[in-house]
Amino acid sequence: MSNRLAVLLLGAVLAADAQTLSRKIDLPKDSPVSLVSADWGESSATPRGGAYMVDVHAGLSLRNSSQRRIRGVTLSVLAQEVTPGGKGSVSVPSLDVAPGDTFPVRIDLPLLRPLGAGSGPLVEVQLDGVLFDDLSFYGPDKLHSRRTMTVWELEARRDRRYFKTLLEQAGREGLQKEMLESLARQADRPQPGVQMVRGRATNTDIEREVQFAFLRFPESPAEPTDGMARIAGNEARAPRLEVRNRSDREIRHLEIGWIVRDQQGRDFLAASLPADLNLAPGHSSQILQDAALRFPGRTSIEGMTGFVSSVEFADGSYWIPTRASLDDPQLRRVVAPSPEEQRLVQMYRRKGVDALIEELKKF
Amino acid sequence: MKRHVAETDLALFASRDLSLWKRALVGMHVRGCGRCRELAEVYRSDRSELSDVTADLPEGLDWDRLSAEMTANIRVGLAAGECVAPRSRRIAALGWRPAAVIAGISVLMAAGWWLNMPPAQTQALGRAMRSIWRGRPALVDERGPMVAVSASGIELRENGSALGVSQGPARPIAVSVSAQGSASARYVDADTGQITITSVYVQ
Repeated sequence: MSNRLAVLLLGAVLAADAQTLSRKIDLPKDSPVSLVSADWGESSATPRGGAYMVDVHAGLSLRNSSQRRIRGVTLSVLAQEVTPGGKGSVSVPSLDVAPGDTFPVRIDLPLLRPLGAGSGPLVEVQLDGVLFDDLSFYGPDKLHSRRTMTVWELEARRDRRYFKTLLEQAGREGLQKEMLESLARQADRPQPGVQMVRGRATNTDIEREVQFAFLRFPESPAEPTDGMARIAGNEARAPRLEVRNRSDREIRHLEIGWIVRDQQGRDFLAASLPADLNLAPGHSSQILQDAALRFPGRTSIEGMTGFVSSVEFADGSYWIPTRASLDDPQLRRVVAPSPEEQRLVQMYRRKGVDALIEELKKF
Repeated sequence: MKRHVAETDLALFASRDLSLWKRALVGMHVRGCGRCRELAEVYRSDRSELSDVTADLPEGLDWDRLSAEMTANIRVGLAAGECVAPRSRRIAALGWRPAAVIAGISVLMAAGWWLNMPPAQTQALGRAMRSIWRGRPALVDERGPMVAVSASGIELRENGSALGVSQGPARPIAVSVSAQGSASARYVDADTGQITITSVYVQ
Protein backbone atom coordinates (compact mmCIF):
# COMPACT_ATOMS: atom_id res chain seq x y z
CA MET A 1 0.00 0.00 0.00
CA SER A 2 2.76 2.41 0.99
CA ASN A 3 4.67 1.49 -2.20
CA ARG A 4 1.66 2.42 -4.36
CA LEU A 5 1.31 5.74 -2.53
CA ALA A 6 4.99 6.54 -3.09
CA VAL A 7 4.71 5.80 -6.82
CA LEU A 8 1.61 8.00 -7.11
CA LEU A 9 3.26 10.88 -5.25
CA LEU A 10 6.44 10.59 -7.34
CA GLY A 11 4.30 10.64 -10.46
CA ALA A 12 2.58 13.77 -9.24
CA VAL A 13 5.94 15.48 -8.64
CA LEU A 14 7.11 14.59 -12.16
CA ALA A 15 3.81 15.60 -13.76
CA ALA A 16 4.02 19.01 -12.08
CA ASP A 17 6.83 19.93 -14.51
CA ALA A 18 4.58 19.71 -17.57
CA GLN A 19 1.84 22.35 -17.49
CA THR A 20 -0.71 23.25 -20.11
CA LEU A 21 -0.45 26.91 -21.04
CA SER A 22 -3.74 28.77 -21.56
CA ARG A 23 -3.56 31.41 -24.30
CA LYS A 24 -5.67 34.43 -25.11
CA ILE A 25 -5.45 37.16 -27.76
CA ASP A 26 -7.47 40.23 -26.88
CA LEU A 27 -7.93 42.90 -29.55
CA PRO A 28 -10.44 45.76 -29.05
CA LYS A 29 -13.55 45.77 -31.22
CA ASP A 30 -12.50 49.00 -32.93
CA SER A 31 -8.91 47.86 -33.32
CA PRO A 32 -7.21 48.96 -36.57
CA VAL A 33 -5.63 45.48 -36.76
CA SER A 34 -7.48 42.16 -36.76
CA LEU A 35 -6.21 38.66 -36.12
CA VAL A 36 -5.94 36.44 -39.20
CA SER A 37 -4.22 33.45 -37.61
CA ALA A 38 -2.19 32.42 -34.56
CA ASP A 39 0.29 29.61 -34.13
CA TRP A 40 1.40 29.05 -30.54
CA GLY A 41 4.14 26.59 -31.45
CA GLU A 42 6.10 25.28 -28.48
CA SER A 43 4.89 27.70 -25.81
CA SER A 44 5.16 26.14 -22.37
CA ALA A 45 5.11 26.86 -18.63
CA THR A 46 7.45 25.22 -16.12
CA PRO A 47 7.11 25.62 -12.35
CA ARG A 48 10.35 26.84 -10.77
CA GLY A 49 10.37 27.74 -7.08
CA GLY A 50 7.33 29.91 -6.41
CA ALA A 51 6.60 30.84 -10.03
CA TYR A 52 5.96 29.50 -13.49
CA MET A 53 8.67 30.24 -16.04
CA VAL A 54 6.45 30.89 -19.07
CA ASP A 55 8.20 30.49 -22.42
CA VAL A 56 6.06 32.07 -25.14
CA HIS A 57 6.70 31.25 -28.80
CA ALA A 58 3.95 32.36 -31.17
CA GLY A 59 3.52 33.52 -34.71
CA LEU A 60 0.59 35.85 -35.40
CA SER A 61 -0.74 37.13 -38.68
CA LEU A 62 -2.51 40.51 -38.42
CA ARG A 63 -4.49 42.50 -41.00
CA ASN A 64 -4.56 46.27 -41.30
CA SER A 65 -8.31 46.86 -41.04
CA SER A 66 -7.96 50.64 -40.90
CA GLN A 67 -7.90 53.15 -43.77
CA ARG A 68 -4.36 54.38 -43.06
CA ARG A 69 -0.92 52.90 -43.57
CA ILE A 70 0.58 51.35 -40.47
CA ARG A 71 4.16 52.23 -39.53
CA GLY A 72 4.48 50.29 -36.28
CA VAL A 73 2.68 47.95 -33.91
CA THR A 74 3.31 47.03 -30.26
CA LEU A 75 1.69 44.05 -28.56
CA SER A 76 1.87 43.52 -24.81
CA VAL A 77 2.31 39.93 -23.68
CA LEU A 78 1.17 39.31 -20.11
CA ALA A 79 1.63 36.34 -17.85
CA GLN A 80 0.84 38.45 -14.77
CA GLU A 81 0.68 42.21 -15.22
CA VAL A 82 1.60 43.29 -11.68
CA THR A 83 4.38 40.78 -11.11
CA PRO A 84 7.95 41.86 -11.91
CA GLY A 85 8.96 39.80 -14.92
CA GLY A 86 5.35 38.95 -15.74
CA LYS A 87 5.08 41.44 -18.58
CA GLY A 88 6.73 41.70 -21.97
CA SER A 89 6.13 43.32 -25.32
CA VAL A 90 6.83 42.82 -28.98
CA SER A 91 7.18 45.80 -31.29
CA VAL A 92 7.46 45.83 -35.04
CA PRO A 93 8.80 49.20 -36.26
CA SER A 94 9.63 50.31 -39.81
CA LEU A 95 6.48 48.79 -41.25
CA ASP A 96 4.63 50.08 -44.29
CA VAL A 97 1.37 48.11 -44.27
CA ALA A 98 -1.36 49.32 -46.63
CA PRO A 99 -5.06 49.07 -45.68
CA GLY A 100 -6.27 45.47 -46.02
CA ASP A 101 -2.76 44.01 -46.15
CA THR A 102 -1.57 41.38 -43.67
CA PHE A 103 1.75 41.26 -41.83
CA PRO A 104 3.39 38.76 -39.45
CA VAL A 105 4.33 39.35 -35.81
CA ARG A 106 6.72 36.92 -34.16
CA ILE A 107 6.52 36.57 -30.32
CA ASP A 108 9.41 34.96 -28.42
CA LEU A 109 9.39 35.93 -24.76
CA PRO A 110 10.29 34.55 -21.34
CA LEU A 111 7.87 35.60 -18.58
CA LEU A 112 7.15 34.87 -14.92
CA ARG A 113 3.81 34.03 -13.34
CA PRO A 114 3.35 33.34 -9.61
CA LEU A 115 2.16 29.79 -8.88
CA GLY A 116 -0.82 31.07 -6.89
CA ALA A 117 -2.05 33.52 -9.53
CA GLY A 118 -5.34 32.26 -10.95
CA SER A 119 -6.07 28.71 -11.93
CA GLY A 120 -2.92 27.96 -13.91
CA PRO A 121 -0.35 29.31 -16.34
CA LEU A 122 -1.91 31.83 -18.69
CA VAL A 123 -0.52 34.17 -21.31
CA GLU A 124 -2.53 37.00 -22.77
CA VAL A 125 -1.65 39.08 -25.83
CA GLN A 126 -3.11 42.58 -26.02
CA LEU A 127 -2.72 45.47 -28.42
CA ASP A 128 -0.75 48.30 -26.81
CA GLY A 129 -0.56 50.58 -29.79
CA VAL A 130 -0.55 51.16 -33.54
CA LEU A 131 1.35 54.03 -35.15
CA PHE A 132 0.14 55.33 -38.52
CA ASP A 133 2.03 57.11 -41.29
CA ASP A 134 0.64 60.49 -40.19
CA LEU A 135 2.13 59.82 -36.70
CA SER A 136 -1.36 59.41 -35.24
CA PHE A 137 -1.72 56.63 -32.72
CA TYR A 138 -4.30 54.09 -31.58
CA GLY A 139 -4.16 52.03 -28.39
CA PRO A 140 -4.15 52.06 -24.60
CA ASP A 141 -0.41 52.91 -24.56
CA LYS A 142 0.19 51.21 -21.19
CA LEU A 143 3.80 50.51 -22.19
CA HIS A 144 4.40 54.03 -23.58
CA SER A 145 4.68 52.51 -27.03
CA ARG A 146 3.43 55.74 -28.62
CA ARG A 147 6.60 57.53 -27.57
CA THR A 148 8.90 54.65 -28.47
CA MET A 149 7.36 53.99 -31.88
CA THR A 150 7.20 57.70 -32.72
CA VAL A 151 10.92 58.08 -31.98
CA TRP A 152 11.66 55.02 -34.15
CA GLU A 153 9.58 56.46 -36.99
CA LEU A 154 11.30 59.86 -36.72
CA GLU A 155 14.68 58.10 -36.78
CA ALA A 156 13.50 56.10 -39.80
CA ARG A 157 12.51 59.27 -41.68
CA ARG A 158 15.81 60.93 -40.76
CA ASP A 159 17.87 57.96 -41.94
CA ARG A 160 15.91 57.42 -45.17
CA ARG A 161 16.31 61.10 -45.95
CA TYR A 162 20.04 60.82 -45.27
CA PHE A 163 20.46 57.80 -47.56
CA LYS A 164 18.36 59.37 -50.30
CA THR A 165 20.47 62.52 -50.13
CA LEU A 166 23.60 60.38 -50.21
CA LEU A 167 22.28 58.53 -53.27
CA GLU A 168 21.60 61.81 -55.02
CA GLN A 169 25.00 63.27 -54.16
CA ALA A 170 27.32 60.25 -54.24
CA GLY A 171 25.38 57.81 -56.40
CA ARG A 172 25.17 54.04 -56.12
CA GLU A 173 28.83 53.74 -55.10
CA GLY A 174 28.43 56.25 -52.29
CA LEU A 175 25.37 54.43 -50.99
CA GLN A 176 27.14 51.08 -51.25
CA LYS A 177 30.15 52.42 -49.35
CA GLU A 178 27.91 53.78 -46.59
CA MET A 179 26.09 50.44 -46.30
CA LEU A 180 29.36 48.55 -46.00
CA GLU A 181 30.63 50.96 -43.35
CA SER A 182 27.40 50.56 -41.42
CA LEU A 183 27.73 46.76 -41.60
CA ALA A 184 31.32 47.00 -40.34
CA ARG A 185 30.33 49.30 -37.46
CA GLN A 186 27.53 46.94 -36.41
CA ALA A 187 29.91 43.99 -36.46
CA ASP A 188 32.52 45.87 -34.38
CA ARG A 189 30.11 47.44 -31.89
CA PRO A 190 30.96 46.12 -28.41
CA GLN A 191 28.10 44.46 -26.55
CA PRO A 192 29.29 43.20 -23.17
CA GLY A 193 26.75 41.60 -20.86
CA VAL A 194 24.81 43.89 -18.52
CA GLN A 195 22.51 42.82 -15.70
CA MET A 196 19.94 45.28 -14.42
CA VAL A 197 17.97 45.12 -11.21
CA ARG A 198 15.67 47.78 -9.82
CA GLY A 199 16.22 49.23 -6.36
CA ARG A 200 18.76 46.76 -4.98
CA ALA A 201 22.51 46.75 -4.64
CA THR A 202 24.05 43.34 -4.17
CA ASN A 203 27.72 44.28 -4.02
CA THR A 204 29.43 44.49 -0.64
CA ASP A 205 32.52 46.37 -1.95
CA ILE A 206 33.21 49.93 -0.83
CA GLU A 207 31.32 52.46 -2.98
CA ARG A 208 32.74 55.53 -4.65
CA GLU A 209 31.05 58.32 -6.60
CA VAL A 210 32.01 58.77 -10.25
CA GLN A 211 31.09 61.90 -12.21
CA PHE A 212 29.49 61.82 -15.66
CA ALA A 213 31.11 63.51 -18.63
CA PHE A 214 28.67 64.70 -21.31
CA LEU A 215 28.45 64.78 -25.08
CA ARG A 216 26.61 67.99 -25.89
CA PHE A 217 24.72 68.42 -29.15
CA PRO A 218 24.41 72.04 -30.26
CA GLU A 219 20.79 71.64 -31.37
CA SER A 220 19.64 69.61 -28.33
CA PRO A 221 16.76 71.23 -26.41
CA ALA A 222 17.98 69.72 -23.12
CA GLU A 223 21.47 70.05 -21.71
CA PRO A 224 22.89 67.78 -19.01
CA THR A 225 24.91 69.90 -16.61
CA ASP A 226 25.99 67.56 -13.84
CA GLY A 227 25.72 63.89 -12.90
CA MET A 228 27.18 61.08 -10.86
CA ALA A 229 26.59 57.41 -10.02
CA ARG A 230 27.75 55.15 -7.18
CA ILE A 231 30.29 52.57 -8.25
CA ALA A 232 31.31 49.47 -6.32
CA GLY A 233 33.46 46.88 -8.07
CA ASN A 234 31.71 45.88 -11.28
CA GLU A 235 28.42 47.49 -10.28
CA ALA A 236 27.03 51.00 -10.94
CA ARG A 237 23.87 52.18 -9.25
CA ALA A 238 21.65 55.12 -8.42
CA PRO A 239 22.57 57.47 -11.30
CA ARG A 240 21.70 61.10 -10.64
CA LEU A 241 21.76 63.76 -13.36
CA GLU A 242 20.95 67.44 -13.64
CA VAL A 243 19.40 68.66 -16.91
CA ARG A 244 18.42 72.11 -18.09
CA ASN A 245 15.74 72.93 -20.63
CA ARG A 246 17.29 75.37 -23.07
CA SER A 247 14.39 75.32 -25.52
CA ASP A 248 11.32 77.57 -25.54
CA ARG A 249 8.92 74.64 -24.98
CA GLU A 250 8.08 72.60 -21.92
CA ILE A 251 9.77 69.17 -21.85
CA ARG A 252 7.61 66.22 -20.78
CA HIS A 253 10.05 63.34 -21.18
CA LEU A 254 13.66 62.80 -22.13
CA GLU A 255 16.05 59.94 -22.44
CA ILE A 256 19.78 59.94 -21.75
CA GLY A 257 22.25 57.38 -23.07
CA TRP A 258 24.68 56.06 -20.45
CA ILE A 259 28.12 55.08 -21.82
CA VAL A 260 30.57 53.27 -19.52
CA ARG A 261 34.37 53.02 -19.97
CA ASP A 262 36.13 50.01 -18.47
CA GLN A 263 39.71 49.67 -17.14
CA GLN A 264 41.00 48.87 -20.64
CA GLY A 265 39.59 52.07 -22.09
CA ARG A 266 36.75 50.35 -23.97
CA ASP A 267 33.46 52.21 -24.22
CA PHE A 268 30.05 50.57 -24.43
CA LEU A 269 26.45 51.70 -24.13
CA ALA A 270 25.36 50.36 -20.75
CA ALA A 271 21.76 51.58 -20.51
CA SER A 272 19.33 54.35 -21.26
CA LEU A 273 18.01 56.60 -18.52
CA PRO A 274 14.43 57.67 -19.31
CA ALA A 275 12.80 60.34 -17.17
CA ASP A 276 9.31 61.84 -17.00
CA LEU A 277 9.53 65.56 -16.31
CA ASN A 278 7.61 68.79 -16.38
CA LEU A 279 10.53 70.97 -17.25
CA ALA A 280 9.66 74.54 -18.16
CA PRO A 281 11.86 76.54 -20.56
CA GLY A 282 15.08 77.71 -18.88
CA HIS A 283 14.56 75.53 -15.81
CA SER A 284 16.64 72.66 -14.49
CA SER A 285 15.59 69.37 -12.99
CA GLN A 286 17.19 66.33 -11.42
CA ILE A 287 16.85 62.81 -12.81
CA LEU A 288 17.17 59.95 -10.34
CA GLN A 289 16.98 56.26 -11.14
CA ASP A 290 16.77 53.61 -8.45
CA ALA A 291 18.50 50.98 -10.54
CA ALA A 292 21.71 48.98 -10.40
CA LEU A 293 23.74 47.78 -13.38
CA ARG A 294 26.23 44.96 -13.05
CA PHE A 295 28.91 44.23 -15.61
CA PRO A 296 30.76 40.98 -16.24
CA GLY A 297 33.33 39.52 -13.86
CA ARG A 298 36.35 41.76 -13.34
CA THR A 299 35.05 44.81 -15.19
CA SER A 300 36.11 47.96 -13.40
CA ILE A 301 34.21 51.13 -14.23
CA GLU A 302 36.67 53.95 -14.87
CA GLY A 303 34.49 56.56 -16.51
CA MET A 304 30.94 57.43 -17.61
CA THR A 305 29.54 59.60 -20.38
CA GLY A 306 25.96 60.75 -20.91
CA PHE A 307 24.16 62.20 -23.94
CA VAL A 308 20.56 63.21 -24.63
CA SER A 309 19.11 60.68 -27.06
CA SER A 310 15.51 61.92 -27.34
CA VAL A 311 13.16 64.58 -25.99
CA GLU A 312 9.37 64.72 -25.92
CA PHE A 313 7.77 68.14 -25.52
CA ALA A 314 4.52 68.85 -23.70
CA ASP A 315 2.86 69.72 -27.03
CA GLY A 316 3.42 66.15 -28.26
CA SER A 317 6.32 66.91 -30.60
CA TYR A 318 9.73 65.25 -30.40
CA TRP A 319 13.40 65.94 -30.84
CA ILE A 320 16.01 63.37 -31.86
CA PRO A 321 19.72 63.90 -32.63
CA THR A 322 20.68 64.60 -36.24
CA ARG A 323 22.91 62.27 -38.24
CA ALA A 324 25.64 64.93 -37.94
CA SER A 325 25.42 64.83 -34.13
CA LEU A 326 25.58 61.04 -34.10
CA ASP A 327 28.70 61.21 -36.25
CA ASP A 328 30.76 61.77 -33.09
CA PRO A 329 33.51 59.07 -33.08
CA GLN A 330 32.64 57.87 -29.57
CA LEU A 331 28.93 57.60 -30.36
CA ARG A 332 29.48 55.91 -33.71
CA ARG A 333 31.38 53.12 -31.96
CA VAL A 334 28.83 52.37 -29.25
CA VAL A 335 25.33 53.49 -30.28
CA ALA A 336 23.26 51.04 -32.31
CA PRO A 337 21.85 52.37 -35.59
CA SER A 338 18.12 52.97 -35.86
CA PRO A 339 15.85 49.99 -36.62
CA GLU A 340 15.27 51.45 -40.08
CA GLU A 341 18.98 51.71 -40.86
CA GLN A 342 19.40 48.10 -39.75
CA ARG A 343 16.47 47.05 -41.95
CA LEU A 344 17.92 48.86 -44.98
CA VAL A 345 21.41 47.46 -44.36
CA GLN A 346 19.97 43.93 -44.14
CA MET A 347 18.06 44.54 -47.37
CA TYR A 348 21.27 45.66 -49.07
CA ARG A 349 23.10 42.60 -47.75
CA ARG A 350 20.42 40.15 -48.94
CA LYS A 351 19.13 41.76 -52.14
CA GLY A 352 21.77 44.21 -53.27
CA VAL A 353 21.94 47.91 -53.96
CA ASP A 354 19.22 48.01 -56.61
CA ALA A 355 16.60 46.65 -54.20
CA LEU A 356 17.75 49.20 -51.63
CA ILE A 357 17.38 52.07 -54.10
CA GLU A 358 13.88 50.87 -55.00
CA GLU A 359 12.99 50.75 -51.30
CA LEU A 360 14.24 54.30 -50.72
CA LYS A 361 12.12 55.53 -53.64
CA LYS A 362 8.93 54.26 -51.96
CA PHE A 363 8.96 57.01 -49.36
CA MET B 1 -14.15 -57.26 48.64
CA LYS B 2 -15.73 -53.92 49.60
CA ARG B 3 -13.72 -50.80 48.67
CA HIS B 4 -13.54 -47.91 51.17
CA VAL B 5 -13.81 -44.25 50.37
CA ALA B 6 -10.50 -42.33 50.15
CA GLU B 7 -9.61 -40.41 53.29
CA THR B 8 -9.39 -37.09 51.46
CA ASP B 9 -12.98 -37.58 50.30
CA LEU B 10 -14.05 -38.47 53.82
CA ALA B 11 -12.38 -35.29 55.15
CA LEU B 12 -14.17 -33.22 52.54
CA PHE B 13 -17.43 -35.09 53.29
CA ALA B 14 -17.04 -34.23 56.95
CA SER B 15 -16.57 -30.54 56.14
CA ARG B 16 -19.42 -30.61 53.55
CA ASP B 17 -17.06 -29.53 50.79
CA LEU B 18 -17.81 -32.33 48.34
CA SER B 19 -19.90 -31.77 45.28
CA LEU B 20 -23.58 -32.69 45.56
CA TRP B 21 -23.36 -35.88 43.50
CA LYS B 22 -20.18 -37.11 45.16
CA ARG B 23 -21.51 -36.25 48.61
CA ALA B 24 -24.57 -38.50 47.95
CA LEU B 25 -22.37 -41.42 46.85
CA VAL B 26 -20.00 -41.05 49.86
CA GLY B 27 -22.99 -40.63 52.19
CA MET B 28 -24.53 -43.94 50.94
CA HIS B 29 -21.18 -45.69 51.47
CA VAL B 30 -20.66 -44.22 54.94
CA ARG B 31 -24.12 -45.36 56.05
CA GLY B 32 -23.23 -48.94 55.13
CA CYS B 33 -19.54 -48.98 56.18
CA GLY B 34 -18.66 -48.78 59.83
CA ARG B 35 -14.94 -47.99 59.26
CA CYS B 36 -15.59 -45.12 56.96
CA ARG B 37 -18.38 -43.80 59.21
CA GLU B 38 -15.95 -43.88 62.13
CA LEU B 39 -13.27 -41.99 60.16
CA ALA B 40 -15.80 -39.42 59.01
CA GLU B 41 -16.83 -38.85 62.59
CA VAL B 42 -13.18 -38.38 63.57
CA TYR B 43 -12.70 -35.72 60.91
CA ARG B 44 -15.91 -34.03 61.95
CA SER B 45 -14.88 -33.85 65.63
CA ASP B 46 -11.32 -32.63 64.68
CA ARG B 47 -12.82 -29.87 62.67
CA SER B 48 -15.08 -28.85 65.51
CA GLU B 49 -12.16 -28.75 67.94
CA LEU B 50 -9.98 -26.71 65.55
CA SER B 51 -12.79 -24.26 65.10
CA ASP B 52 -13.12 -23.80 68.83
CA VAL B 53 -9.38 -23.29 69.27
CA THR B 54 -9.00 -20.67 66.46
CA ALA B 55 -12.02 -18.69 67.70
CA ASP B 56 -9.86 -17.17 70.44
CA LEU B 57 -6.80 -14.95 69.40
CA PRO B 58 -3.51 -15.56 71.19
CA GLU B 59 -2.87 -13.28 74.15
CA GLY B 60 -0.56 -10.26 73.63
CA LEU B 61 -0.94 -10.27 69.82
CA ASP B 62 0.59 -7.00 68.37
CA TRP B 63 -1.10 -6.34 65.02
CA ASP B 64 1.28 -3.48 64.06
CA ARG B 65 4.33 -5.59 64.59
CA LEU B 66 2.74 -8.46 62.69
CA SER B 67 1.99 -6.09 59.78
CA ALA B 68 5.57 -4.79 59.77
CA GLU B 69 6.96 -8.29 59.78
CA MET B 70 4.75 -9.31 56.89
CA THR B 71 5.79 -6.23 54.84
CA ALA B 72 9.45 -6.92 55.58
CA ASN B 73 9.06 -10.53 54.53
CA ILE B 74 7.44 -9.50 51.26
CA ARG B 75 10.31 -7.07 50.49
CA VAL B 76 12.92 -9.66 51.37
CA GLY B 77 11.18 -12.06 49.05
CA LEU B 78 11.16 -9.57 46.17
CA ALA B 79 14.83 -8.70 46.70
CA ALA B 80 15.77 -12.32 46.72
CA GLY B 81 13.83 -12.85 43.52
CA GLU B 82 15.74 -9.97 41.84
CA CYS B 83 19.05 -11.56 42.88
CA VAL B 84 18.18 -14.97 41.59
CA ALA B 85 16.65 -14.00 38.25
CA PRO B 86 17.22 -10.36 37.25
CA ARG B 87 14.38 -9.04 35.10
CA SER B 88 15.35 -7.86 31.63
CA ARG B 89 13.48 -4.93 30.03
CA ARG B 90 11.88 -5.92 26.82
CA ILE B 91 12.26 -3.31 24.04
CA ALA B 92 9.46 -3.22 21.58
CA ALA B 93 10.95 -4.12 18.21
CA LEU B 94 10.08 -1.86 15.22
CA GLY B 95 9.08 -3.61 12.07
CA TRP B 96 10.58 -2.77 8.62
CA ARG B 97 7.40 -1.11 7.35
CA PRO B 98 7.70 2.25 9.19
CA ALA B 99 11.35 2.47 8.10
CA ALA B 100 10.38 1.78 4.50
CA VAL B 101 7.64 4.46 4.60
CA ILE B 102 10.03 7.05 6.09
CA ALA B 103 12.68 6.19 3.48
CA GLY B 104 10.10 6.49 0.69
CA ILE B 105 8.90 9.89 1.88
CA SER B 106 12.52 11.08 2.16
CA VAL B 107 13.29 10.00 -1.41
CA LEU B 108 10.08 11.68 -2.63
CA MET B 109 10.92 14.96 -0.87
CA ALA B 110 14.48 14.90 -2.21
CA ALA B 111 13.17 14.25 -5.76
CA GLY B 112 10.64 17.08 -5.44
CA TRP B 113 13.35 19.47 -4.20
CA TRP B 114 15.74 18.44 -6.97
CA LEU B 115 13.11 18.84 -9.69
CA ASN B 116 11.58 22.11 -8.55
CA MET B 117 14.11 24.07 -6.52
CA PRO B 118 16.66 26.15 -8.44
CA PRO B 119 20.30 25.48 -7.47
CA ALA B 120 20.75 29.08 -6.36
CA GLN B 121 17.92 28.69 -3.85
CA THR B 122 19.48 25.52 -2.50
CA GLN B 123 22.79 27.33 -2.20
CA ALA B 124 21.08 30.30 -0.50
CA LEU B 125 19.47 27.91 1.98
CA GLY B 126 22.88 26.35 2.63
CA ARG B 127 24.40 29.78 3.21
CA ALA B 128 21.56 30.71 5.57
CA MET B 129 22.02 27.48 7.55
CA ARG B 130 25.77 28.07 7.77
CA SER B 131 25.25 31.65 8.95
CA ILE B 132 22.83 30.41 11.65
CA TRP B 133 25.35 27.76 12.70
CA ARG B 134 28.16 30.34 12.91
CA GLY B 135 25.93 32.97 14.51
CA ARG B 136 26.84 35.63 11.90
CA PRO B 137 24.50 37.52 9.57
CA ALA B 138 24.35 36.36 5.96
CA LEU B 139 25.63 38.55 3.13
CA VAL B 140 23.12 40.49 1.07
CA ASP B 141 21.82 38.17 -1.61
CA GLU B 142 20.06 38.61 -4.95
CA ARG B 143 16.31 38.49 -4.78
CA GLY B 144 13.59 39.35 -7.24
CA PRO B 145 13.74 39.22 -11.00
CA MET B 146 16.64 40.63 -12.96
CA VAL B 147 17.11 41.21 -16.66
CA ALA B 148 20.39 40.55 -18.35
CA VAL B 149 21.45 41.38 -21.90
CA SER B 150 24.38 40.09 -23.87
CA ALA B 151 25.31 39.53 -27.49
CA SER B 152 23.12 36.41 -27.41
CA GLY B 153 19.96 38.23 -26.29
CA ILE B 154 17.85 38.88 -23.18
CA GLU B 155 17.65 36.67 -20.16
CA LEU B 156 15.13 36.89 -17.33
CA ARG B 157 16.50 35.63 -14.02
CA GLU B 158 14.55 34.80 -10.88
CA ASN B 159 16.00 33.07 -7.81
CA GLY B 160 18.79 31.55 -9.84
CA SER B 161 16.54 30.26 -12.63
CA ALA B 162 17.11 31.83 -16.02
CA LEU B 163 14.98 31.96 -19.14
CA GLY B 164 16.32 33.49 -22.32
CA VAL B 165 14.71 35.01 -25.39
CA SER B 166 15.63 33.26 -28.58
CA GLN B 167 14.29 33.34 -32.11
CA GLY B 168 15.63 30.02 -33.22
CA PRO B 169 19.21 30.27 -34.39
CA ALA B 170 18.93 34.05 -34.97
CA ARG B 171 21.04 36.34 -32.81
CA PRO B 172 19.86 39.85 -31.96
CA ILE B 173 21.28 42.68 -34.02
CA ALA B 174 21.12 44.96 -30.95
CA VAL B 175 20.26 44.72 -27.26
CA SER B 176 19.58 47.49 -24.76
CA VAL B 177 18.69 48.06 -21.13
CA SER B 178 16.45 50.78 -19.72
CA ALA B 179 17.10 51.87 -16.16
CA GLN B 180 13.33 52.09 -15.69
CA GLY B 181 13.30 48.30 -15.59
CA SER B 182 13.26 46.70 -19.01
CA ALA B 183 15.55 45.02 -21.50
CA SER B 184 15.10 44.81 -25.25
CA ALA B 185 16.52 42.74 -28.07
CA ARG B 186 16.24 43.62 -31.74
CA TYR B 187 15.93 40.83 -34.31
CA VAL B 188 15.75 40.87 -38.09
CA ASP B 189 13.83 38.20 -39.97
CA ALA B 190 16.12 36.49 -42.46
CA ASP B 191 13.34 36.02 -45.04
CA THR B 192 11.26 39.18 -44.85
CA GLY B 193 13.83 41.60 -43.40
CA GLN B 194 11.22 42.65 -40.83
CA ILE B 195 12.59 44.07 -37.57
CA THR B 196 11.07 42.77 -34.31
CA ILE B 197 11.93 44.31 -30.94
CA THR B 198 11.23 42.13 -27.93
CA SER B 199 11.16 43.64 -24.42
CA VAL B 200 10.86 42.20 -20.92
CA TYR B 201 9.89 44.35 -17.94
CA VAL B 202 10.91 43.77 -14.34
CA GLN B 203 9.17 46.92 -13.07
